[in-house]
Amino acid sequence: MTEYDPVKTNVSEVITETSNIKTFVLRPERPLDFEAGQFIQLTVPGVGEGPFTPSSSPYEKEKLEVTIMEVGRVTSALHNLKQGSMVGLRGPFGKEYPLDRFRGREILIVGGGVGMAPLRSLFLSLAHTIDDYKKLVFCCGSRTPKDIVYKDAVLDRWQTEFKDKVSFRITVDEGDGTWKGQVGLVTTTLDNLDQEISNFKESIAVVCGPPIMMKFTTMKLLDIGYGHENIYLSMEKNMSCGLGRCGHCQMGKYLVCRDGPVFTYQEVKNIPNMWD
Amino acid sequence: MEALFISTANFHHLLGNLVKKNLLYAPRKKGDFLFYERIETASPKDLILHTNRPVQPLKSFFFPPYQKVGQYFESASPEDTETPKRVILGVKNCDLESLKTLDSVYAGTQFSSSPDPWYTRARDSSLLISSDCLEPDEYCFCTLLGSNPDPEEGFDLNLSPVDGGFVIEVGSEKGKAIVNQDQNLFISADENVLAQREKTRADSLAKVKELNQEVEVKSPYRDMIRETYSSPVWKDHSENCVDCGGCNEICPTCRCFLLQDGREKERFERVRLWDACLLTGFARVAGGANPRPKLSDRFSNRLFCKFYFFPENVNLDACTGCGRCISVCIGKIDMRKVFKDLEKERSKGSAEKIK
Repeated sequence: MTEYDPVKTNVSEVITETSNIKTFVLRPERPLDFEAGQFIQLTVPGVGEGPFTPSSSPYEKEKLEVTIMEVGRVTSALHNLKQGSMVGLRGPFGKEYPLDRFRGREILIVGGGVGMAPLRSLFLSLAHTIDDYKKLVFCCGSRTPKDIVYKDAVLDRWQTEFKDKVSFRITVDEGDGTWKGQVGLVTTTLDNLDQEISNFKESIAVVCGPPIMMKFTTMKLLDIGYGHENIYLSMEKNMSCGLGRCGHCQMGKYLVCRDGPVFTYQEVKNIPNMWD
Repeated sequence: MEALFISTANFHHLLGNLVKKNLLYAPRKKGDFLFYERIETASPKDLILHTNRPVQPLKSFFFPPYQKVGQYFESASPEDTETPKRVILGVKNCDLESLKTLDSVYAGTQFSSSPDPWYTRARDSSLLISSDCLEPDEYCFCTLLGSNPDPEEGFDLNLSPVDGGFVIEVGSEKGKAIVNQDQNLFISADENVLAQREKTRADSLAKVKELNQEVEVKSPYRDMIRETYSSPVWKDHSENCVDCGGCNEICPTCRCFLLQDGREKERFERVRLWDACLLTGFARVAGGANPRPKLSDRFSNRLFCKFYFFPENVNLDACTGCGRCISVCIGKIDMRKVFKDLEKERSKGSAEKIK
């Protein structure tokens, strides 16, 4: 077995999240220990592999989940998989969210669309030792109510379970007949944030979503007083080998597979085309 | 380092011994070009040791254009095949220098937590007999990178032609072992041959310097590049680029690859292929986002990788001045002229700096 060979993995369940997003429950033959924020390479045998950040809790050792939007060749092949299919896993790769830095602080999580995937893993990680954190604010933006990923958890289960320690701000770009919640871009969830967070300068913000969403969210966070070094962004580049060799995820002086995929705004703000 | 003398006749005797136990490769002329070719017998007429570098980059021996790296869901591993022992003769200093970059990626631990098994095996089983470059051409610019046409390190043995034979310099334990096996073929190098070597080397160095007089810049490339990323010079030069990726493939330090999966019945294979950052889709992600959609961005990023990314990571310029990228370019792009123009532009002080 070489470092390019994936571990044989069983797809034990396929959950349809939205019209183009599915969550796959994966049980590898050998467990992969990961931390929230790290990524794995998922192989469709004979087709190829792609980088994904697990969306499940790192505390669940026997399985891991990945939430995947159908956008290209490998993800289409993934979306055709059924319960019982065989896939491959390599990893984990990259750096995790530095939870040691997060402890004792007010944490803001901002997710957009399928960008909720790593944030779910992060949230479950934080929730595991929730008393370590001063406060959690979870903001989530989706295109329409039908596009909300982890709908049941975001709108109901987590809200009940963590009501003392976590505030949720959920918005959609366009409502529909059934939607009674907030309508507006995800950046509108940051309006009046001082009602939830007392010290922006010390607070940690974790943002994941489409590049344009991360860009405007970051701009707004900077406006309201977040520190450059306290805004964590997911730089989902074309990670391929995961081993720091193939060069595809080079970004400025960094290799995203080695130094990321999570970076602070401070680390990446001067890289040309960083939002693309 | 130890310097010895070997006569031409004894040198061929040595090659005769080496060819028995190793695959021997040396530069040979094919049409107008030099290529590393397999040499079956050490016939003197075949060897062209002292011109400049062959067309193929030295990386081809250690990081081949196509390599099977995985065979998954099987217990058998593809790495069990034996690596042949190779002697690579006539390696030029620009190629020896390129191995520092490749070693940092494939044999070191700065990029990866473990060395690459195929690369390190191929490196370990090869003997490098370099030789002084005495015929630099108009593409050569090792001197602009602070290097020389004659090797100083990184070889097992190095050859410098002198009257009646060669001065042989021993550069490693592996090289020392070769000398020890055939001790009677060597004598110690006397002052006359050493003086002759120095004279020939100085002439060659002067030639490279002369060839680059007009394109020389005052500051090192790695210092210049930090201050020029938004310069219009990149776009001007990239207008002659046709996006072919030839400069990537032929570059001895370009080390990027693409992983590709294939299937043969129930067997799944993974291969790695040389890839080129000049190509449109190199950094594109599945959703279509592309950090470098414009050719000028990819064009400048290639040189940023060489003079910013590598220096920041391993304190090395990932360029040795071999000039292959210039000789191969159908758009006649010359990176020396890019830097010359950046220097002119910089004196105007308009470009933004990397902080």
